[in-house]
Amino acid sequence: MMADAVETLPTQQLEAFKGVKKVPLEEYFTSGHRTCQGCESALVMKLMVKAAGPRTIVLGSTGCMYVANTTYYSTSWVVPWMHTQLGSSGSAGLGTAAALKALMRKGKMKEEPINVIAFCGDGGGADMGLSAISATLTHPQYNVLILLYDNESYANTDIQASGMTPYGAHTTFSPPGKVKRIMHTRWKKNVAGMLAAGHPESKYIGTVCASYAVEMMNRVRKALTIGGPTFIHSLDPCPKGWDYDPMLSHELGELAVNCGIWPLYDVENHRLRLYGRTKALAEKRARRQPVRDFLVRQGRFAHLTADDIDYFQAKIDEMWDKWLLPGVLPIWKDLEVDNPPAS
Amino acid sequence: MGRLFAVEIVYRGIFQKNLAKNISRGIVLAAKHDGKIGISFGRYGDSPERNGIPAKSFAIIATDEETLQEGMAKYEPKETDISISVDDTLCKGVESWAWYGLQPINRLLKPGGTLIVTTMQDADTIIGMAHRKDFPYQLALLRGIPSFSGLWVYKDDHTDVRILGAIAKVLPELLSLNAVELAIKEEWHDDLKVKSARKSFERVEMRVVGPSEGNPETPYSFELPKWQEMREGVTIPGIPAGKAMTDPQTQQAGGFRPDRNPTFKKFSTRTMRPVVDFDTCVKCTLCWLQCPDSCFDVTPDALYDANMEACCGCGICEAVCPVEHCITMVNETAFADNASQWEAWRKDKTGYQTWLQDKITHLPPREHGFRIRGQYAEEIKDLVKVGVVDTGDEKISEQVVTDPHESGAG
Amino acid sequence: MAKVIEKAQQEKEALISGSEAIAVACKLADVDVITAYPIRPYDTVMQYVAKLVANGELDCEYIVAESEHSQFEIVKHASAVGARVFCGSSGVGWMYAFEALTVTPALRIPMVAMVGNRALDDPGAFGVEHNDALAVRDLGWQLVWVDSAQEALDTALIAYRVAEDRRVFLPCAIACDGAFLTHSQSMVKIPPQEWVNAFLPPYNRGDLQLHPDNPITIAPQVNEDWLMELRKHNDEAMKRSRDVVIPEAYRDFERIFNRSYGNPFFEEYQTADADVVLVGMGTLSMPVKVAIRQMRKEGKKVGFVRLRWFRPFPAEQLAKTLSRFGAIGVIDRDFSFGAPYVSGVVATEIRAALYPVDKRPPLLDFISGLGGREVTVPDVRRMSDMLFAARAGTPQPLTTWVGVRE
Repeated sequence: MMADAVETLPTQQLEAFKGVKKVPLEEYFTSGHRTCQGCESALVMKLMVKAAGPRTIVLGSTGCMYVANTTYYSTSWVVPWMHTQLGSSGSAGLGTAAALKALMRKGKMKEEPINVIAFCGDGGGADMGLSAISATLTHPQYNVLILLYDNESYANTDIQASGMTPYGAHTTFSPPGKVKRIMHTRWKKNVAGMLAAGHPESKYIGTVCASYAVEMMNRVRKALTIGGPTFIHSLDPCPKGWDYDPMLSHELGELAVNCGIWPLYDVENHRLRLYGRTKALAEKRARRQPVRDFLVRQGRFAHLTADDIDYFQAKIDEMWDKWLLPGVLPIWKDLEVDNPPAS
Repeated sequence: MGRLFAVEIVYRGIFQKNLAKNISRGIVLAAKHDGKIGISFGRYGDSPERNGIPAKSFAIIATDEETLQEGMAKYEPKETDISISVDDTLCKGVESWAWYGLQPINRLLKPGGTLIVTTMQDADTIIGMAHRKDFPYQLALLRGIPSFSGLWVYKDDHTDVRILGAIAKVLPELLSLNAVELAIKEEWHDDLKVKSARKSFERVEMRVVGPSEGNPETPYSFELPKWQEMREGVTIPGIPAGKAMTDPQTQQAGGFRPDRNPTFKKFSTRTMRPVVDFDTCVKCTLCWLQCPDSCFDVTPDALYDANMEACCGCGICEAVCPVEHCITMVNETAFADNASQWEAWRKDKTGYQTWLQDKITHLPPREHGFRIRGQYAEEIKDLVKVGVVDTGDEKISEQVVTDPHESGAG
Repeated sequence: MAKVIEKAQQEKEALISGSEAIAVACKLADVDVITAYPIRPYDTVMQYVAKLVANGELDCEYIVAESEHSQFEIVKHASAVGARVFCGSSGVGWMYAFEALTVTPALRIPMVAMVGNRALDDPGAFGVEHNDALAVRDLGWQLVWVDSAQEALDTALIAYRVAEDRRVFLPCAIACDGAFLTHSQSMVKIPPQEWVNAFLPPYNRGDLQLHPDNPITIAPQVNEDWLMELRKHNDEAMKRSRDVVIPEAYRDFERIFNRSYGNPFFEEYQTADADVVLVGMGTLSMPVKVAIRQMRKEGKKVGFVRLRWFRPFPAEQLAKTLSRFGAIGVIDRDFSFGAPYVSGVVATEIRAALYPVDKRPPLLDFISGLGGREVTVPDVRRMSDMLFAARAGTPQPLTTWVGVRE
């Protein structure tokens, strides 16, 4: 039950697509963007607004999906789209939703449910913009979806390491050198889990991968329909920064899931649900592929030794075997009890 | 006043970034041995590069410092002595991601200048792709499959030094072969690379291209508006929603064709294009749904026709297609236009099959980017076998790029 | 527009601070989206806004942001959708929002903001300095300084009218001296709603509105082929604001509210027969006016020009006015370390404004009142003495720190 003080606007009721053949033909993000061949993030943009439909406003923070999509005098957006600053996806979504709410309430704009989606890359979302996203997820009265497209580096600016770059990856800020083979020793932030754990007012937080397009789109529709501030984290294989043949984008997305590196889950009204291949892995109906299959296909890991790959595997195993909620909550299952010393 | 030389290297973003840098730096380093000075730079507007999207590097060389200043603090030279196309499919025209309109590969070439192309195609095919100039220029062909690498893993098939050897041949006033050899030794410490450069100096094929030769089309261009003509608030109109298609044979309407960005078409990014066997298509939707460039038109008969103005040739459609040989990526040099495959198939299904088989067997096959560790070492062995890399030695390499300025260093 | 003032509609009086006066203007302007974040001294405006919202006197989305950057970004986006917005900050808070402040005029967002002028860190200090607001002087923000709560209220209404004029569409910051304006209550006439409605039309973003009915793309990335033309748009808008829109707004304000500010850009005090003139912005006008009256009793004819609009800067008018006097003394409540002649910002700009004028009197700069230190009557007398000396031909230092212990 919503508190009386929380005034919300109705949302569009977007039913889940029941199968790939039910996906509408219309495109709201179209051809002529300047992304790389095989850009999975461009696919995420396309699927995101295909799921949302025409009565949608999209805000995009600085990053590839800004710079490459909308070089001036040309755009590939059909729906209204506006740039926002690198750390501002949360604020852009909040401001847009607040304006719609005020103007409709005060009779200054025709009343109708309009989707508001603000997207950010891993740099904009997980690094610089985390604070604003966190704030937005505490405002229950605004309908806004924040979508983080995570290609695991500042790929636009020249592939610099971000807080989401995986362990060991070669970036222009973490080149393998003569003395240090591994410059990037950080482990990726667990953003969806962190936000779900810390934002009880958000009714929907989930992870997606566009290799599973219908499941991805249905999560966008769920987030927009459920209302309030919601968040989706998408892992996007990046042929440029990950360094692979663009043809393999789809396959690498699948590999990330099947190797257990990228768990697919959502938290809807506080209920955690593993879905898709991740559910099969968790229920042991399918075996996790070794992470090696994922790593050796990417130039960014070409300098990793067998030991490095073993370490990577061990970290993934730990996530699945020891975490209280695999992929979600990096607190180990075996609770420590602080027993007072016997008197 | 001394003499100023300008060389441009037109290349595929990311895949040939290290290669292009090696060439433009190699030119400057070699020119030094001939007593000249120069600068090497990438076209700023191409950065940040995108996979496959055409980009440029330049080497500006002068006989003295004051002359060099004429070529400095510019994004690109006004004209070139040599333009180098390190991928033959770029000869169809170049649309960098920061430009408007399609620019001929030889646009900057001055009268009597030379276009160097790495290719396995014959001269007529290359001339047919390049746009006409109103004065004669020279075409130099360097035999080889265009060299594509990963960004972090360099495929050292000697294309960099082979280009340097070819330059010494076509414009000895710029670089002597001796200077090229000295620079290679100094930069790469590799005698095999010296040998490769010398071989290409001997083998480069040259012919003059007359004003009547080449692609007669005027490439689409774009006029920059005045400030008064531009909308305020940094706004531009969105792309209109698309509409249903019409079958040219039956006039039946249906399906969907999205409207597309009219000022950036992206097809010059393509090194391969998908050809579709509509007779075996099971209408699974995956090519259409998974295409990051929304390039598939949905036809009234529910087939998926890749629009060749929008397709950038990533190959994802082939990768996701569940039917064997339904979608095949084919070397872009096999095609002369961007016509609809579906319309051709609707007109003449038998003729289309013949066309399709002809295209699928077009050589050489292409691929782009890093696929798996060890791949380049294997590929270079094959190149040595067929004599494209003529080292007579298996000491060939695949290297993790540790420093962009040292890429290829042995 | 017919003359709206009727007998039934009387201005009410209230004892409120400059901050509260601006909050009242927000209510009268029926602002749609307001964002708050705490920092002294500006945040008194947001405390009052919060009360107005809680009491149902102001119907707006009132959002407490998590930083100044977000605070300004939220309203920037709300304005793009068509909402009338209000925001504000002080000192380093304003600087924390700097990126957002940069893009706001670039996007032609007619935001109105209050800057409660405050010294920049480090060290932390609450008192007034003008460097915070002045930091945005090159970016396309309109900047106006006021010296009373009444002027704060009136200027906020004028700011909405000017900013939201389609010929301008540039943000406007109202600078109020910390403590002296933000934290000091005085009697303010509050105009009836009807007058405000007659003066201030609804915000209409027109073809720049971000809405599914107007599917545009806003602020795509540009390269060197485009940015000069886009900057030119803003240059022209700022000129239209100075030449047409601000004068129009003040004329209408006078007609509807029956209160005149004279020249919109600067106030002249006892300048008609003055031999030398002082120039300054904000509440230092008070001690300056007191000192002038004292000195006039002694036969020293000193005048004062209080600059209101720093952006757009009224260069030609100001140069014409100032060239009449025997010497000019600029009081800068700011610093610009290493600037020409180590002067403050205002003096440097006025020197530049005077350059094309034939008659250029000696110009002395006085750095004074930093960090909230009071500008005193003796300070002003000392400045004036130096001006008379300069007028008499005795060379004076071009820049003097007045009121610093030495």
